[in-house]
Amino acid sequence: MTADTLAALAAVIVTWVLARRLEARALRQLLLLAASYLFYGVWGGWFLAVLIASSVLNFYLGGLIRRRRTAGALWIGIACNLLLLGLFKYLPALAQTAALGASEADLVRRIAMPLGISFWTFQALSYLFDVYRGEELNPSLVEFCLYMAFWPTVLSGPVCRLPQMLPQLREAPGFRHEDVVAGTTRIIQGLIMKFALAEILAVGLAPGEGVVGGFDDVQGGWGALDVWLLAIGFGFQLFFDFAGYSHLVIGTALVFGVRLQENFNRPYLALTPAIFWTRWHMSLSFWIRDYVFLPLATLRRGRAWVYLVLVFAMTLFGLWHAPKATFVLWGCYQGFLLVLHRLGQQAKARLAPGRPAFAGGFLSWAGTFAAISLGWVLFRANDLGQALAMLGALFSPAAYSRLALPHSFYVLVPAVTIGYFAYEAVRAVLARWREEERGRANVPAVRLVAVELCQLLRARAWWWLAPVCFAALAVTLIRLLEQSAAVSPFMYTLF
Amino acid sequence: MQEPTPGDPAQQMIDYIVREVIRRPALEITAETPLVSSGLIDSLALVHILAKLEDVTQRHIPAGKVLPEDMDTVNLMLATARRVGVPRR
Repeated sequence: MTADTLAALAAVIVTWVLARRLEARALRQLLLLAASYLFYGVWGGWFLAVLIASSVLNFYLGGLIRRRRTAGALWIGIACNLLLLGLFKYLPALAQTAALGASEADLVRRIAMPLGISFWTFQALSYLFDVYRGEELNPSLVEFCLYMAFWPTVLSGPVCRLPQMLPQLREAPGFRHEDVVAGTTRIIQGLIMKFALAEILAVGLAPGEGVVGGFDDVQGGWGALDVWLLAIGFGFQLFFDFAGYSHLVIGTALVFGVRLQENFNRPYLALTPAIFWTRWHMSLSFWIRDYVFLPLATLRRGRAWVYLVLVFAMTLFGLWHAPKATFVLWGCYQGFLLVLHRLGQQAKARLAPGRPAFAGGFLSWAGTFAAISLGWVLFRANDLGQALAMLGALFSPAAYSRLALPHSFYVLVPAVTIGYFAYEAVRAVLARWREEERGRANVPAVRLVAVELCQLLRARAWWWLAPVCFAALAVTLIRLLEQSAAVSPFMYTLF
Repeated sequence: MQEPTPGDPAQQMIDYIVREVIRRPALEITAETPLVSSGLIDSLALVHILAKLEDVTQRHIPAGKVLPEDMDTVNLMLATARRVGVPRR
């Protein structure tokens, strides 16, 4: 991030603050749109031109579908958006592997992918699907463009839906104290997750001793423990990076009075893969469920068809990230995992009906955590050969006595993992205590102190929030301005 | 709201969901019990429930016309079938 970007960001925030106070809706929306375009335009005028073209095109496609609610009209809309996505996202990547003449290859190489195109194209598609479904949506052109370009979400989501956004873009709530406090808290949480936790996992305790070095610098010879720790380490790096980014975005929008869809909900506490996928990158996984899985799965009857569609939908989920074999395989693997889980559920219902005991619940969680973590090897590997070599180490007995990573890595990943689950456990215990102690007379001293302390911190949020906010922002700005080359970008801006 | 009676569409859906989907006969659900938002049924189960809904209402529900939020309760399911369903021939 450069000083220009920060200046543009400051201008955007000032414009939004002023615009939110305007009573005249049309003028307010126009100013909000101008600010959003100013923010997006920082990354390139060409990107902005594509975003505007896509917004206008989809606005009129929505009108077409509203007038003629036929599958044909919907398919025209889908095809236009897939063409746009294919041209800017998939063609350049595919051209690298195809045999092209020098001039064609040069032409394709010049196509730069507009930032966030996968996210806002999916927003446009959800609008077309919703109009086709008969949803009462009547945005003006400015409102629709604002929905597509809404500056907190335009780069990497969450993937919004117009029925939730439109009423919020129409009202002028001003600033609510509780929204500002809650939003700021989430921004700080996001900054800590990204710039402390994700960054330390990526780089390591010393430069080159983290997940990035483990995947990129080690040339083969991974031991089985190395693969497990790299998989778990990358899973947490991705989680802290993207969930941290989502906190930043949701928190920023909340400060301005806009409530966005949640993107993460403690996914690593999920007891099954099916639950995991309702808690990880929720805005995209629900999009895939609503607009791909359900329409296709209901086309025909029979369990085999439903399972096939499930694998297809998850493969599409993988392909959404990039046209790479590793992403396709990762999506396919997640689909098979979901099918296996459902078959296991059915077998259990027949053989051992009833709710699982604690041990069953723990085993289910551990199995889910291990299976999801292994999938991250496919997601992160630089190519298919590396992924297969790493996964192959897990099935080689000799690999269990081999260690190829720096010593600090064997401390870092377990420490972050245990630390995260300990944090979640303390949070859950405190929440339960708060619930149990409500209205009770004889409260144990330890519980009373813990619960009261939490309530005090919550009630006096600004006593500690303001200094923490200031310190976090100062550290972030210093890192961004002085060490911009050393700080890795948010991972999902690559997609 | 009127209670569902045996044989009516709402009761048929409730019986099917308790017996075949949730598989917990002791669980009591009504036509207004949230099913999707509460996590009682997932998207795979939703596909089978849609098929049952078509059978119970004798209406074909076109693909792409239903979202999970339209299927959150049994009453919503029946309303959705009336809204977007096409009578079977």
